[in-house]
Amino acid sequence: MEKVLVTGGTGFLGSAIVKALLETKKYDVTALDINPPSLGTASYLDVNYVRASVLDVGSIRKAIEAARPSVVIHTVGVYHTDGRRYGKAGREELFGINVIGTKNVLEAAREFGVKGFVYTSSWAVVMDDLDYDHPNMDEASPVGHASLLYGQSKAAAEEIVLSANTPQFRTCALRPAVIIGPGDPATIPTIHSCIRKGETPFIIGSGHNLTDFVYISNIADAHILAVSNLLTTGSAAGEAFFITNGEPLSFRDFCVAVWAEFGHVPWLEIRIPESLAWGLGWAAECVTWFTGQPATLSRGAVKDACLSRYANIDKARRVLGYEPKVGLAEGTKLACQEYKNRISHKR
Amino acid sequence: MPKLSSIFYYGVHPSELRSIIQWKVWHNPVHERDESKECETLKQCFFYLDMTSRSFAAVIKELHPELLVPVCLFYLVLRALDTIEDDMTIPLEKKEPLLREFDTVLEKDGWTFTENGPNEKDRELCVHFDVVIEEFKKIKPAYKAIIKDITKKMGNGMADYVNNAEHNIHSVNTIKDYELYCHYVAGLVGEGCTRLFVEAGLANPALLQKPELMESMGQFLQQVNIMRDIKEDFDDKRRFYPKEIWSKHVDKFEDLFKPENQQAALNCTSEMILISLQRADECLYYLAGIKEQSVFNFCAIPQAMAIATMEECFRNPNVYKTNVKISKGQACQLMVDSTQNLQMVCDTFRKYARKISKKNNPKDPNFLNISIACGKIEQFIESIFPTQKSKGGAKLISAEQEAKEKAEAGEARQDTIYMGLAVFLTLFVITGFMVTIAWFAGARFDIAFGQIRNTLFGSGFAGNDLPTNENLKNALTPEHGEL
Repeated sequence: MEKVLVTGGTGFLGSAIVKALLETKKYDVTALDINPPSLGTASYLDVNYVRASVLDVGSIRKAIEAARPSVVIHTVGVYHTDGRRYGKAGREELFGINVIGTKNVLEAAREFGVKGFVYTSSWAVVMDDLDYDHPNMDEASPVGHASLLYGQSKAAAEEIVLSANTPQFRTCALRPAVIIGPGDPATIPTIHSCIRKGETPFIIGSGHNLTDFVYISNIADAHILAVSNLLTTGSAAGEAFFITNGEPLSFRDFCVAVWAEFGHVPWLEIRIPESLAWGLGWAAECVTWFTGQPATLSRGAVKDACLSRYANIDKARRVLGYEPKVGLAEGTKLACQEYKNRISHKR
Repeated sequence: MPKLSSIFYYGVHPSELRSIIQWKVWHNPVHERDESKECETLKQCFFYLDMTSRSFAAVIKELHPELLVPVCLFYLVLRALDTIEDDMTIPLEKKEPLLREFDTVLEKDGWTFTENGPNEKDRELCVHFDVVIEEFKKIKPAYKAIIKDITKKMGNGMADYVNNAEHNIHSVNTIKDYELYCHYVAGLVGEGCTRLFVEAGLANPALLQKPELMESMGQFLQQVNIMRDIKEDFDDKRRFYPKEIWSKHVDKFEDLFKPENQQAALNCTSEMILISLQRADECLYYLAGIKEQSVFNFCAIPQAMAIATMEECFRNPNVYKTNVKISKGQACQLMVDSTQNLQMVCDTFRKYARKISKKNNPKDPNFLNISIACGKIEQFIESIFPTQKSKGGAKLISAEQEAKEKAEAGEARQDTIYMGLAVFLTLFVITGFMVTIAWFAGARFDIAFGQIRNTLFGSGFAGNDLPTNENLKNALTPEHGEL
């Protein structure tokens, strides 16, 4: 049995990866996280849970030295879903955890003879460049033009990981699109909250812009494939891969489908031209600046809603043998179902 | 004489009227058939082509001379086969062997078939089938072999289906059955045409290495026809919708036509449309392999018509009442656009995919899958005709370029200044005129100025910005002939 250590192993993605690793019955798993498995999520008897922060070099080294894994899967990362996504505040936190944290884990792994390192990057390395559409982006699309801090931090970390690749220490990076699935902390809840706020009738821009998602078990599968690739042929070493469900669709349609799962169908549609929305976003930012109260609307949020961004996953199919097993329609249903249960328990 | 309703329709849809005129006036066939060089039997063949085909005759007659006759004959042979299959007056014992051996008929001089029922609309073609056989003898052996091979496969497939239909009410149970049926009647036509195109050197031989593409070409057209013709077929007691699909929406097939089941029926159409829509990208891919314009038109026009018909039928309850058709203006627009190049056809596909996506209803169980199918079409088009790649790369520009851009920016700034001056001057002149005219007409500017002065400088005390009584009185007393 090969040993695998998963950082962020109790998080949304990390726990799904742990589960997928166990299902193969080929790996001995250590899950490292700053948090213990949270209530209501699965934890496994066969898994060795270690509590450590990626910012604490000492405890990271200790954990890796104790576990002696063949492969490290590094999923730890932070992001902002609110207005901070478009601002310059929170730079320390993003770069600290996403870049320095990655560097810490990478160096400890190399030191203790780990053979493979799989890094969970993000498609944001390319698409967080809010000045342009990114239709059908692939691994040839230039990295390093991200205008948002998150994309910049992921790109910097990815660069560190991929340039550390050597025949003895193979590294690769996976760039998932927006991840949805049971336990999703951000996407479905955010879209769902539009119902309460009465924002569902508004369509900003054409509504034709496409976006990409990836279902949680599919992105977990991609990580397993990357692990086995690095341990065998190594054809993925030094490479980055976009991982999506391969089913780009109109962002508006996705939202409408999620709302429909919660029994809500917008009773009318109000189209707001992108330029007007941009102006309103600017005004909202001014108000925020004066009052200090965060607003939903901002110029960045308008662009996020109007840009066309989806990826071509041929390389992952070819090199990793990746094939999304759960379709987006089914995945969306499963994710919404779980969120429905989650909020009904809260009440 | 055009109908009053159509005059009204084109009165409010002038762009469609423009398309009709554009097509009628400006369309030049890539190749024109030269009737003077044709012998009598060939003329007869074209006569039957016009008689039996509404949509295909025009595109076939404009085909490259190398393929004109073979494709025309191929069409007539399959049409005759279809006429025999459709005819419910021919007993199965007679029909089945006839279908299975139809390829050998092509070698029998003077063979005709007179046993079709009197209501069969293409009966005449079978009665005079000897002219087709006569012309078939003259074409190149390679083309003959292809046509015979497809005829044999299709005849056998139809015989299987007819046999099955005779013994089983639901002859089309699963989606697989449905696609198999479409394969026999349409997928094989795609294969035959492709082999003819490649044989003639007018299409990329790689198309034969990707058989799923030519299959999709046929399936796409056939499935749209089946979906559109549901009412007509139902009236003629034919059913092609697979039970696997309709049974999800209604209990009995005939329930689809009941008004109280309208939503279920619409969802059923959506699911049928979804199956065919998923093949649209492969159709575009196929078109990329065509090397010659007339062959391209021959392939592209029906595909463009099909996606437009699909859009027209999508979430349209009339599908279960009449035969829904696209307007003539729309058809002409589609023909104009699909006789140019692949990019124009892609634009057409994207346009209709977006229209479908817009009509999509979140209460439809296939809402997301339809949206995904539309996204897939867009992604495919993006992969062959990329919109400018993320200009991110262009941020690193040369010094020379930078200097040029700077100069351009300077010029632009000067332009802005002059424009601003011009606007200001114009406004000034106009205002001057207005003021003068107003003064001549008796406007009391003195009062207005007085008021302004009073308001602004009347007194330094706060709270005194209301007009004083005196001023008010002045303003309200019409001393002068004001309007």
